[in-house]
Amino acid sequence: MAKFYLGVDIGSLTTKIVLINDAAEIVGRATGRSGYSGKEIAMRLAAGLLENNGLKTSEVVATVATGYGRVTFPADREISEITCQARGIAHLFNRARTVIDIGGQDSKVIKLLPGGKVADFAMNDKCAAGTGRFLEVMAGALEVKVEELGDLAARAGESCPISSICTVFAESEIISHISAGKSKPDIVAGVCDSVAARVTSMTARTGLEQEVVFTGGVARNNGVVNALARHLGCTLSVPPEPEITAALGAALSALGFSKN
Amino acid sequence: MGQQRRYKQLESTAQLKKLITRYYALSRYHRLWGRPLKRPLAWVTSGAPVELLRAFKIHSVYPEQYGALCSTSKATLGLCQEAEAAGYSPDLCSYATSNIGSVLKADIAPMKGLPKPDLVVACNNICGTVLKWYEALARHFQVPLIVIDTPFLTGDMTDHAKEYVLEQFKDLISQMEKLTGRNFNPGELGKISDLSNEAVGLWKEIRGLCRAKPSPLNGPDLFIHMAPIVVLRGTREAADYYRLLKDEVKKRVEREESALEEEKIRLVWDNIAIWSNMFKFFKMFSERGACFVTDTYTGGWSMEIAPGDPLESLAATYTEVFLNRSPEFRAKQIIDLIKEFKADGFVMHSNRSCKPYSLVQEVIRKRVMQETGVPGLVVEADMADPRAFAEEPIRNRVQAFLETLSD
Repeated sequence: MAKFYLGVDIGSLTTKIVLINDAAEIVGRATGRSGYSGKEIAMRLAAGLLENNGLKTSEVVATVATGYGRVTFPADREISEITCQARGIAHLFNRARTVIDIGGQDSKVIKLLPGGKVADFAMNDKCAAGTGRFLEVMAGALEVKVEELGDLAARAGESCPISSICTVFAESEIISHISAGKSKPDIVAGVCDSVAARVTSMTARTGLEQEVVFTGGVARNNGVVNALARHLGCTLSVPPEPEITAALGAALSALGFSKN
Repeated sequence: MGQQRRYKQLESTAQLKKLITRYYALSRYHRLWGRPLKRPLAWVTSGAPVELLRAFKIHSVYPEQYGALCSTSKATLGLCQEAEAAGYSPDLCSYATSNIGSVLKADIAPMKGLPKPDLVVACNNICGTVLKWYEALARHFQVPLIVIDTPFLTGDMTDHAKEYVLEQFKDLISQMEKLTGRNFNPGELGKISDLSNEAVGLWKEIRGLCRAKPSPLNGPDLFIHMAPIVVLRGTREAADYYRLLKDEVKKRVEREESALEEEKIRLVWDNIAIWSNMFKFFKMFSERGACFVTDTYTGGWSMEIAPGDPLESLAATYTEVFLNRSPEFRAKQIIDLIKEFKADGFVMHSNRSCKPYSLVQEVIRKRVMQETGVPGLVVEADMADPRAFAEEPIRNRVQAFLETLSD
């Protein structure tokens, strides 16, 4: 019987699951909005994933849960997303030394040792500034979709400064920019710059070592990717599916401890 | 204290409770005995030269220690809100705001607040906030304010700094002679300093016993049992208490008894405890076998008064308090603790309230990691205000940190 390993990442905004096989290859993945019960969403996603691949529950020999909802999910182990993220990224990019992860309500910088062990990490304070949630609020104020932010930023002439680090105050700053007649692209560029500046100062705490990998849902936003590369003064590698790397790390951990 | 099943309480705790209860009862009923015995009551900062006040038979109470007590009794939030409603900023030190809150609304404060002072004494060796805090208290109670200004030491102690503090001590003495109607007796000060040294020496020995593997004490033990060294320093009771505690801790070491069920990871703690959630917080570590074998905070009370002229020695001791020292000094302190106690890592509480303690931590953290090669974690919270304690983000960081240590 073939053996499979499940990684479940229940984040503050989205739930991600990844299924891998014995050879550490991704067999399937699924994502959904965490909503009220990330656990139920994760269970539903897992059931769907198994069905689509024609697999039985018994073929999944180990499960690791990570993310904010990790303790709610009936997994074999729960591991913090810092450890999982490090594992997932080290698997995809073996020369990665710095991981920048911007998720729904967390942004973090992880410094990796060769081999993927965590040497140090820094996370945002008890505040949503510089996170996916921040971008959602700003997109809401501008009446655009989060996915449109990247293209809008690319069309900017001059980025509008967003000085506040508080999400609520930054939103009112945007409203002032709107009433001052600034263009949407310029405001969006300012929003991306503000996220990049915030994460850059966090990077100073751990130290920046290349190769730098940018992951998490926000890494899909080219506006932030470009702003961050500019602020850090280096190129960034972005995984093809940046939101699932912690779930992948969780699945790899499940594979790792089942083998030992 | 029964909140944590795994927490192994020391037997001495019963005596500790007795001692502190008696101290607070004496303080509370000071009005009945203080005036007839001509023994004024002072509110003092934790780093005030209490030996000098004791030499004039002044009874000292500690708003900071009371602030910790308010926090463990879950009263801080209401008290801070009271002070904030009166216009004090929520960005101020939570010991200051909760204390001011307890003055403004005694009926929601533990023990109905501290007894009214006859004078207040602030020494800025621990921070600058105490100056304005104690000014506000002096204004409210209409009592004299004594300020002792200890210059910040960027390097080692200087003659000039010592002289400057010594002059202020002499000033304080003449003020106290007037206020109490007693003459200064250097012999009495010498005796009190000896008693301080006795307790401090024992506290130092107790802390030193935690070099043992496994450690006989964990962070919460140090934080709980530090109370007498703060509020009863310079008394026979404090010295006696620490002798009792030392005997018990020594027995634990002889029996190779660990503070935890199983010690797997040894850590050093930096900053004041998170009193509002102390057991819940330390449990995040103890349930994974991580023990705080030593810390920088309770070590602040293990500084002996040097032999020689007691007044000069006091001036040096109170100026050389670690919070009054450079980041280099503080980094070295943690580096030495890590080496001496064979620690695997360190945890810094970035304490929103305590700026002098917390603002330089990132600089110190980098230096310590570089020098020792062991990882350091920063946790954001507040010593007293529960609003600054975000449980999930903290748990997340702690778990990730411990995972890096258990690989």
